[in-house]
Amino acid sequence: MAKGLWKIIALSLAGVLAIVVLVVVGGVIAVLASDKGLIAEDAALLIISAVMAVLMMALSLWLGVAWMARIDEAAREAHKASWFYGGSGGLAVGGVFIILASTPPAARLTLPAWFDGRTDPAAYAATGAVGLMTLMLIGYGVVWGWWWLARR
Amino acid sequence: MNNRLKVLRAERDWSQAHLAELLGVSRQTVNALETGRYDPSLPLAFKIARIFEQPIESIFSED
Repeated sequence: MAKGLWKIIALSLAGVLAIVVLVVVGGVIAVLASDKGLIAEDAALLIISAVMAVLMMALSLWLGVAWMARIDEAAREAHKASWFYGGSGGLAVGGVFIILASTPPAARLTLPAWFDGRTDPAAYAATGAVGLMTLMLIGYGVVWGWWWLARR
Repeated sequence: MNNRLKVLRAERDWSQAHLAELLGVSRQTVNALETGRYDPSLPLAFKIARIFEQPIESIFSED
């Protein structure tokens, strides 16, 4: 493992722990505030979720950047190729579903409710986003594996 | 691109892991370099040349 990667892993775990603590503390404050009628319960939940989401994504981005800075150039090339070819491949497959979803017959389709049984627009939007991310990640993984196998 | 990395490493009786450590890369990267399936960047090529104390053109050649 390249130098400094263990430090990144340790800092990431510490970061995740810090986020968990912040969310718990924030959650308790939000519950107390909504109990006293200072803020609506939905608003409190949304604020806590937004803070957690921003912190988690910022931490993930930092982790990715720090990781890329410490791995060697061949490993970096593997990730670049995976991002471009694998990610683009996943987008291309996802694009087919996006085009199909935009056609009039799609309006009459009954789609499965994958988000806790919810069938509201936000849940369907999230389902589509997660589906596209999954396809891109599958493509990423396949190309990353192929890249290294081809260079053994 | 062809290279003489494997020969140069064998002459010094170094393992891939040792060369990887000297270069600051992974063993997989050294293997990919030796098999000619990965061409190094200029900075890495200079580093290889420095470690083997030879000019770049005596280590790497065109196909």
